[in-house]
Amino acid sequence: MRCLFCDKEITKYSIKSILLYEDELCPECRRLLKVNRRTVSVDKLKVETFFDYDGIYRSLLIQYKECYDEALKNVFIYDLKEYIAFKYLGYKILYVPSSNKKIKERGYNHLELMFESLNFKKVEGLRIKEDLIQEGKNAKERKQMINNYIYEGSRQNKVLIVDDVLTTGSSIRGVYETIFPYANKIKCLVLASKRKRFHI
Amino acid sequence: MECKRCGNKDPTYFYKGHRGYYCRRCIKFKRVLIDEDISEINYDVNSASFDYEFNYELTPAQVEVSKKANGLITNEDVLLYCVCGAGKTEICVESISSYLAKGLKVCYAISRKEVVIELAERFTSIFPKAKVTAVYGSHHDEIYGDLIVCTTHQLYRYHNSFDLLILDEVDAFPLKGNETLMDIALKSSKGHIIFSTATIDSDLKRVLSKRKYQKISLYTRPSNKPLIVPMTYRNIKLLCLMRMYKIMRNMTNQAIIFVQSKKLCKLLYILYSKFFSSTYVYSDLNKRNENISNFKNKQYQFIFSTTVLERGITIKNVNVIIIDFIKNRFDESSYIQMLGRVGRGIDNPNGEAYVLTSYKNKNVINAIEYINKANSYL
Repeated sequence: MRCLFCDKEITKYSIKSILLYEDELCPECRRLLKVNRRTVSVDKLKVETFFDYDGIYRSLLIQYKECYDEALKNVFIYDLKEYIAFKYLGYKILYVPSSNKKIKERGYNHLELMFESLNFKKVEGLRIKEDLIQEGKNAKERKQMINNYIYEGSRQNKVLIVDDVLTTGSSIRGVYETIFPYANKIKCLVLASKRKRFHI
Repeated sequence: MECKRCGNKDPTYFYKGHRGYYCRRCIKFKRVLIDEDISEINYDVNSASFDYEFNYELTPAQVEVSKKANGLITNEDVLLYCVCGAGKTEICVESISSYLAKGLKVCYAISRKEVVIELAERFTSIFPKAKVTAVYGSHHDEIYGDLIVCTTHQLYRYHNSFDLLILDEVDAFPLKGNETLMDIALKSSKGHIIFSTATIDSDLKRVLSKRKYQKISLYTRPSNKPLIVPMTYRNIKLLCLMRMYKIMRNMTNQAIIFVQSKKLCKLLYILYSKFFSSTYVYSDLNKRNENISNFKNKQYQFIFSTTVLERGITIKNVNVIIIDFIKNRFDESSYIQMLGRVGRGIDNPNGEAYVLTSYKNKNVINAIEYINKANSYL
């Protein structure tokens, strides 16, 4: 089996890889994708993050999202699966909506595939009002995302909002504010972050 | 199953996604589905754009090689094996012109972005009537023109498109050791290819073994002066750095100081900028272009650089110092290219080159042997 990132043949296996499920990255690439768990604040909102948005995480995400490499879907939360499943037991996942145009181009919703292996129930009914593509936008333009969501679903008990990367924090805050009146308890989880604090 | 872009047939590289099977061997250039049709890019070439003019005269040796290449390229591939600074670009001009005159598509592909920018400017002055389009990482809104100058990575945009493809610096990163990129580069041509290089390595031999080609060599520079043989100095790292200080103090010309890592590049810059007017550059430095142009404008005497300035760059009256502390990080071809920065052009054939190393370095010995062999043809 080849590493999905560096393409080298995987010759060494971790204990987790032998006993539970196979890692699709080689130990060298996995070591570079080091988990750095921390809580990031977006104004007053607390968001749990796991990676720094640089190096190999960034390259992997670009390959997964922009080069449409679906095969990478399981590599991001390989080390976090048990942690998230245990910590957020009983929560329903709410994915930060992506641009419909991008989903159509890719042929898959990248967030749903990334977290598919957790088998959490999904919160339906959140959508984007206007199909704004965030890529290449500056911070000011991205702030428009805060008021760009609409929720048409039922009332929820525990909701876990998830996203892949915190760039300005406007998407996660927008989703949080939209779902706030309809949920009893809300937690936010983003895989990677560019900074420790965001002010919008 | 076969990937239409890179030609891969190895089933372990194919992955079945929501849209169907795709090839992962060339996935870094964006997904191509197996049943997706990637046709050649069609654009018109202005056949009146073939006129060319040089601001200087080519040497008889260059004219001879240029004519020979032009005669051969219509029937088969050409391996242009020339020493650094022999004027490979000028030699290709006649072949480019004859293809443009027939309205055929021509591309000049080289490894580095800086060289693409510089070459596009040169070709614009050589072919005043042609629309020369530079295509590289952050500059690909316009991908059509009479003559395309692009980085080798950008060739994936032109599947089966070019009648004449000139692959320069075939022995260098990123083509070196990257079979996928080489396959994509070869597939961007539907006609013939000029492989231009100063060193022939095993990867290039493998590629050429499958193709019909003729080798054309040129061992002399336009100045007809010998290549600069470097002065070598081997000692412990600290003494090497002290020696470098002495060399720099006695130097009157500008110099490029090649180092092996970004970290060392920045560290030496911090240390030596206290004593000398200097700047630094490495691949992902934000002000990379700014620093290079400031150095070219003679605002600084020294530039600390990783291999980013190793190839394709021509700076007048420049000397070279190479610091080699990590084994095999610089190979023989790197040495030949770095030392080839010295004494380029007809007006300034002289210069100084130094290699400061902390270990017994076979690559330097081989590079010096190569230079001596090339000089023996004079």
